Amino acid sequence: MSAPLLTHRPLRRRLLDAGFYAVTALSALIGVFFLACILVMVASRGLSGVSWSFLTEDMSQSGAAGGIFYQLVGTLILVAATAVIVMPLAVSFALLNSEYIKSRRLRALSKSMLFLLNGVPSILFGVFGYLLFVKALGLGKSWLVGALMLAFMILPTVTVSVMEAIDRIPTLHREAAMALGLNPPKVIWSLVLPSSLQGLITGTLLGLGRAAGETAPIMFTAAVFSGVTVPDGVVDNPILAIPYHILNLAQDASSPEVLRNAWSSAFVLLALSLILNTLAWFLRRRAEGRRAI
Amino acid sequence: MAPDPAATPRQNVDPKDKPRIYGPFGLFRDPRLEFLSVTRLLAYAFSAVVMLFLAALVLSLLLGSLPIFREQGFWSFATKPEWNYRRQLFGAASMLYGTLVTSFVALLLAGPLGILSATFISEYLSGPLQSLIKQSVELLAAVPSVVYGLLGVITLRPLVHKGLGFLGAETGDTLLTGSLLLAIMILPTIMTLADDALRAVPKATREAAMALGLTRRESIWTVVWPRARSGLISAVLLGLGRALGETIAVFLVIGRSDSRLPKPLWDLSALLAPGQTLTSKLGSPELAISYSDPQHWSAILGLAFLLLVTVAVIMGLGLSLRRRPV
Amino acid sequence: MIHSLIRRLPLALGALSLAFLVSACGGGSSSKSKVRIQGSTTVNPIMTEVAELLRKRQGMKITVDTQGGSSGGISAVSDGSADIGMSSKPVSEADQKKAKRKILAHVVGFDAVALVVSTPIYEGGVKALDRQQIADIFTGKIKNWKQVGGPDKAIFVYNKEPGRGTRAIFEKFVFLGKAPAIKAFKNYAEVGANEETRQKIESHGSAVGQLSASWAENRKDMKIVGLKTDKGIVIPDEKNLKSGRYPMARKLFLLTAGEAKGAIKAIIDFTLSKDGQAIVRKVGYLPVNDGA
Repeated sequence: MSAPLLTHRPLRRRLLDAGFYAVTALSALIGVFFLACILVMVASRGLSGVSWSFLTEDMSQSGAAGGIFYQLVGTLILVAATAVIVMPLAVSFALLNSEYIKSRRLRALSKSMLFLLNGVPSILFGVFGYLLFVKALGLGKSWLVGALMLAFMILPTVTVSVMEAIDRIPTLHREAAMALGLNPPKVIWSLVLPSSLQGLITGTLLGLGRAAGETAPIMFTAAVFSGVTVPDGVVDNPILAIPYHILNLAQDASSPEVLRNAWSSAFVLLALSLILNTLAWFLRRRAEGRRAI
Repeated sequence: MAPDPAATPRQNVDPKDKPRIYGPFGLFRDPRLEFLSVTRLLAYAFSAVVMLFLAALVLSLLLGSLPIFREQGFWSFATKPEWNYRRQLFGAASMLYGTLVTSFVALLLAGPLGILSATFISEYLSGPLQSLIKQSVELLAAVPSVVYGLLGVITLRPLVHKGLGFLGAETGDTLLTGSLLLAIMILPTIMTLADDALRAVPKATREAAMALGLTRRESIWTVVWPRARSGLISAVLLGLGRALGETIAVFLVIGRSDSRLPKPLWDLSALLAPGQTLTSKLGSPELAISYSDPQHWSAILGLAFLLLVTVAVIMGLGLSLRRRPV
Repeated sequence: MIHSLIRRLPLALGALSLAFLVSACGGGSSSKSKVRIQGSTTVNPIMTEVAELLRKRQGMKITVDTQGGSSGGISAVSDGSADIGMSSKPVSEADQKKAKRKILAHVVGFDAVALVVSTPIYEGGVKALDRQQIADIFTGKIKNWKQVGGPDKAIFVYNKEPGRGTRAIFEKFVFLGKAPAIKAFKNYAEVGANEETRQKIESHGSAVGQLSASWAENRKDMKIVGLKTDKGIVIPDEKNLKSGRYPMARKLFLLTAGEAKGAIKAIIDFTLSKDGQAIVRKVGYLPVNDGA
């Protein structure tokens, strides 16, 4: 759609056009270059260390050897628990906004609360979790506390996704439901929730992609460096986690074996994050395709 | 020939014929009991949990830092540069400086770069190449911060140390390293959001400009950018928010040296020296150590509260900038 | 199909959360109690391996964390958030006063704090330093290696964080226990774990720092500097440690709140047993008893 750059136009305009094109192209090149570098580095340095045994073996020698099995297990536990916690909260908040609160000011207020929550730095979730749950309530480091913090951290993402999905429900459908004699709760359970399911899942996957890689909320509340296999309860039950593992290894990066394991762990974490994000993107595209029909 | 509802008189309905669909579990006939429905109560309950959480977070940090504020005064806490917990000196100014400097330098680098590249990708590219690059940038916005931290440790630190040695850098652990790392981290975020903002400008607008004889570049300058302005500002703002709150990556490359505040404040050589930010201090082992000492713990919570306030103030200012009409 | 699933959703969620809660509460009183170990990154390699061994052999549940270093270990034991604290510095009176119960220290090994420099500096001539020189370097009075017989390069100091055991031992020797407030000068940064010290000094090329001796041995990019004492130049090798000639020797402690009992005692006894002491030696420290 771009007009040809070199036509019968005064020189100044043509120079500006070409100059702008060059500057923006260069910026894009630089931007994409950095990002490509990251992927290439993680892949090239980490892929060689990733093997079936790496994923299924225990850590040994404080990370210099062995695998990351229990770190993977811990991260998956956190992700699953976070999903279970965040979904009802997000759906409730979205429902409140779309069904139950009619006043525009209150809606704006709740939207800004969501915005506020989104802006809280992730380390503050860690500090708050440590302060309240680990210390004041005496729960010690616990996987559940970590999952709780992660859930609140990704809540805005999931909630917005659900709210968008609910907004997309045509009024016609709502009217049809009411005309069929459904009372408000039934309208919600039979129409609103199923229609927003796709938004919920997409948003949750997106949020989980971020939660899987976060270190700050869990390093004071749920993660330890070694000694844990699988939790057997809630109180005083920390877990291992890949991001915290990488943080520890990154501080020992002058040992080549440790460094290699750090890169491999980073690769696994990146893969996990990307799988979750890609799934979300995929589902969203599929839903958009269906809607276009 | 539908009956006119205004003309139909209100029927007297036998109470027993009114449907039982209201209230908890749909057991009651009176529609006024609808507010008690279980669904509604659950929705309110869960939402209350969310609001309670937010309130608890802010309040606990505020209440926890009251002791140190009462002792020192908030202003003194925020402006004294010395932090040395073994000597009971608690001043947050150097960390505030570190946070603001690293974030704003990162913004200076990543903001224009992000907007310009997003402009290129969304205005000058098309077809499969465009969607390929857009997808990759979106996926890269999801790279975890600890991976960036690892990259910073292995790659950026030697670069700054050896590459900027001629400017006076004696080490790779500097505020500048932190700024550069933050810039790389927030770049994909800014690019993605700026791209969204640019795409939100209707195609018709661009076509109208071109129909009037403007070149692509001119239509971008005079039409697209102004229309997308609030979205672009949001993109940059969200990037800034992420930079202000980033902990892990900064922790690994910043040097973690306390009490550094340059005199005069705008002396840029401080960038080439190690430093400390609010987040790198909060993510450090000092948190675990401080719990047993009430004054120290209160000072740490004071830092957390200060971080919250700083982020809120800056984001608030930014948002108010956004609301000005085009 | 979706609708029937959604209808069953509340039931499913309710059942799931109930199962969650039951397992959570039930798990609170697990059959095997968990032992939490926290503290110094110096002692960490020993306890990580001890924990691994005991987990495999006896199914014990032990978690090891290094948050806060030696100070973190001491404060965790004193407020009860850890069962065993690891420390590479002795418990001070101030720490003891803050603790709810008396903290008992069990010595499990010997180590030394070494002064380390990047290899180019060592090979440039800085092979030994005396106490005053070290003090001046760490307070920023001496800024260039050539002032102490090395190459003409600016000195970069990587000091340990204040809570670290290594730093405490270092300050006791260098500043005779009266550590001055080190005002941050230009070429000064702090590091946390032993791993981080090692990594930063090795990658820098012109740096100095403190490190546990066993961590510093046999490294390509980092060398141990001898200490000039009135007994001559001493390096932290086994002979000098045993005879006491090396001034920055230190004991490695496992701390407990009150008497060690049950699983905690079992762990400490194991660390002092032949197998445990073999681990101490394997990781690079000096055993307490030669495995008797």
